[in-house]
Amino acid sequence: MRKPKTYARNYEIPEEELTYSGSVSCPGCGATLAMRYALKALGPKTMVVIPACCWSIIAGPFPYSSLTVPIFHTAFETAGAVSSGIRAALDILGKEDITVMAWAGDGGTFDIGIQALSAAVERNEDFIYVCYDNEAYMNTGIQRSSATPWMAWTTTTPVKHPKDEPKKDIMAIMAAHYIPYTATATIAYPDDMIAKFRKAKSIHGAKFIHVLSPCPPGWKSEASDSIKLSRLAVQSKVFPLYEIEHGEKVTINVWPKDGGVPVSEYLRLQGRFRHLSDENIAAIQAEVDRNWERLVAKAKGSVYTELV
Amino acid sequence: MKKQTEARVITFTSEAEMPMMPASMASTLYNKTGSWRYMRPLYVNKTPPCNAACPAGEDIVMYLQLTAQGRYAEAWETIVRENPFPGVCGRVCPHPCESECNREHLGGAIAIHCQERFLADYAAAHDLGLPMPDVPQRGEHVAVVGAGPAGLSCAYHLRRMGYQVTVFDAGDKPGGMMRLIPEYRLPKEVLEREIAAIVATGVEVKTGVRLGVDVSLDDLKDYAAVFLAVGQSRSRRLGVPGEEATGVLPGIDFLARVARGQRVGLGEKVAVIGGGNTAMDAARTARRLGADVTIFYRRSRAEMPAIDEEVNEALDEGVRIEFLRAPVAVLTENGHVRGLRLTEMELGAPDESGRRRPLPVAGSEYEVACDTVIPALGQVADLSFLDAEVKSERGRIITDEKAATTRPPIFAGGDVATGFGTVTAAVGSGKRAALAIDCFLRGVERTFPDLAQNVQAAPRPHDAAVVRFEDLNTAYFEEEPRPRQEQRPAAERVTTFEEVNLGYGEDAALAEAQRCFSCGTCNECDNCLIFCPDVAVLRGPSDDEPFVFNYDYCKGCGICVSECPRHAISFEEEVKFAET
Repeated sequence: MRKPKTYARNYEIPEEELTYSGSVSCPGCGATLAMRYALKALGPKTMVVIPACCWSIIAGPFPYSSLTVPIFHTAFETAGAVSSGIRAALDILGKEDITVMAWAGDGGTFDIGIQALSAAVERNEDFIYVCYDNEAYMNTGIQRSSATPWMAWTTTTPVKHPKDEPKKDIMAIMAAHYIPYTATATIAYPDDMIAKFRKAKSIHGAKFIHVLSPCPPGWKSEASDSIKLSRLAVQSKVFPLYEIEHGEKVTINVWPKDGGVPVSEYLRLQGRFRHLSDENIAAIQAEVDRNWERLVAKAKGSVYTELV
Repeated sequence: MKKQTEARVITFTSEAEMPMMPASMASTLYNKTGSWRYMRPLYVNKTPPCNAACPAGEDIVMYLQLTAQGRYAEAWETIVRENPFPGVCGRVCPHPCESECNREHLGGAIAIHCQERFLADYAAAHDLGLPMPDVPQRGEHVAVVGAGPAGLSCAYHLRRMGYQVTVFDAGDKPGGMMRLIPEYRLPKEVLEREIAAIVATGVEVKTGVRLGVDVSLDDLKDYAAVFLAVGQSRSRRLGVPGEEATGVLPGIDFLARVARGQRVGLGEKVAVIGGGNTAMDAARTARRLGADVTIFYRRSRAEMPAIDEEVNEALDEGVRIEFLRAPVAVLTENGHVRGLRLTEMELGAPDESGRRRPLPVAGSEYEVACDTVIPALGQVADLSFLDAEVKSERGRIITDEKAATTRPPIFAGGDVATGFGTVTAAVGSGKRAALAIDCFLRGVERTFPDLAQNVQAAPRPHDAAVVRFEDLNTAYFEEEPRPRQEQRPAAERVTTFEEVNLGYGEDAALAEAQRCFSCGTCNECDNCLIFCPDVAVLRGPSDDEPFVFNYDYCKGCGICVSECPRHAISFEEEVKFAET
């Protein structure tokens, strides 16, 4: 293979591909790209646990797989429990070098799987739990979840009755478990995302990574805009990139360029927000600004010191 | 399951063949998702605006990208495939490329002229000779008349194609108008080196031969083709009384005498008439000879044809410029200049050049004292050698888009045909003629773009569409300032003919090249490969094809198209959906 030139880019991405072409994900699927980066970071010694979600389908119909690493398909609410079991089995076999990664959607994390997840991280099981968040039950036909943002259209929150509840703060919930590592990541920042997966792999104990995954059919956006939306989510501070160590030490990894962009730039590319009034957008902007200020305050006020 | 590289379809013919539990036995490669696609991404390099604007047709983006990788020799070779005068053009070209550069919007246009100059100086320091392609030598012999930039460029390109070439020039040394460019802008050794390199490719140069005096057009009929590039050597006259007085010294004659090292007595006060580059050169040269210099120009600063930087540098050096002033008479005393009578001007309606026509203000005449008057009102061609068959119009030889005159196989180019008036345009014109002469001699039909555009001798595949700033994905670019070029201080400049601009060193050149967006030209940033959700972008077999799409699996989402920072990927409707 030809050696890649890197002068035009200032970061490295592992060359090895651990996902296959031919998966049945929709064109422009953010979750598919997220898996590709995750496995590039974790390497072939990885086992993946997938509860009911888009990836149950993307991973391939029997007897095919779109991953080069083993996958265990399991029930909607069980990702935390099954991952704990697989971890225990591997440890008994002496295969401690194998990373266990639970890979669940927002439905399986925020709603249906939160009990098993909370229990597993409360026990500080040594695994990485990834929530790829496309902000609704996309696989079953775009029903709202507790990860769906305020005022977004879904099939169960139609334009006449858009969702009236804010998105659940899953990062705060996970940080409140005081687990070693909690982080956000998204596909427009592959270097940041790969660094976080590598860091998670290097840490013993429970790790939680929240990945924002644009979904063209569910967000009613152009397939070609998936990276752009991911980037705008970060630049508009709708989805800041940060990490929380031991529930306390907050670090913002990507600061929006030139103070960021208005949320309207992020919202206007998505059909699910097309019905928003100017007042709605102003309210979203105010909420995003408030959350950002709170995050910055947390990052500045972090006082965690390593226990000896 | 071991990693698979080929599609495998699993078929169960009975329940007994199925595994105990639903485990995977093959990869999803069996599923050719390319059939979903209704839009197809394609790697198509587009035309960068700098390349489109270069009168010599240089592949600017390509040599900036090679420079960015530290591949200086290859970068220099990329220039000289199109233009054998990078050292000259890097110093004296008005760089229309930089006016079009998309970087202008994020920190300032790339200093392309400094890059070109840096590469030329690198080639000189490393003694690189012009590389010649390995082509069979051809029997046809071509005569080129005029050893200026157009003639030498034509001769060089003909040599590259294997033709035998003899260049005739009326002067005692080849170089034409390039010889008149003052040393502080173009050191003689730079010019000598680049001319010598062209001669070294096997071009025969015969100096001291004036067409129409020492040889006639008919004497050249034994040559397979003739290229006329005699330039515009005659100064336009002032057309006012007193012009014949001693002390009236046309700009190019003055510059020629200084260039030859002759002493020129100017007196104390010098008046330069005109607003072009010759006027600036004459004024700044006179400053360096110790004179008090004033330029009188009949229009305003906005209409001045001189390169803006030259005007600023002249002002810095203490040259005064009086706008909206035109001479009415040269005042004489005993046959010698003693002053000028001038009139104030005002701008009227636009003329055929699009600039507002200057009109004298009645009753505004006044006199100034001066010892020397240097008219620099532009040049015209001396066409006295032409016969009736080679037609001319308004002082220029008529040529078609293939540089052919009305009497084949006589071709013409450079200022005598185009009047463009810059070295770079002349180089492009000479190259166009060389390519046209080659087609003519081989009996090959080829179309050429409009005369205003320039052709490339070694074009790489690209789409003619010019990439504009809106076409770029600027999320991948930061605002970065253009590095300053070191300049000799003005107070020191007026005492010496040493070069004013000091160019870029290697560090600045490297950093500046890396600031280039590489508009329309893939530079292997890997974005398409990194952002493909479906692993349908693969590394390609060679530098010419760095990536390939795996159309078996590409779903046509278009992420690669929108995330390409430089618009080097096109997106087209699949043929099966296109109207037939």
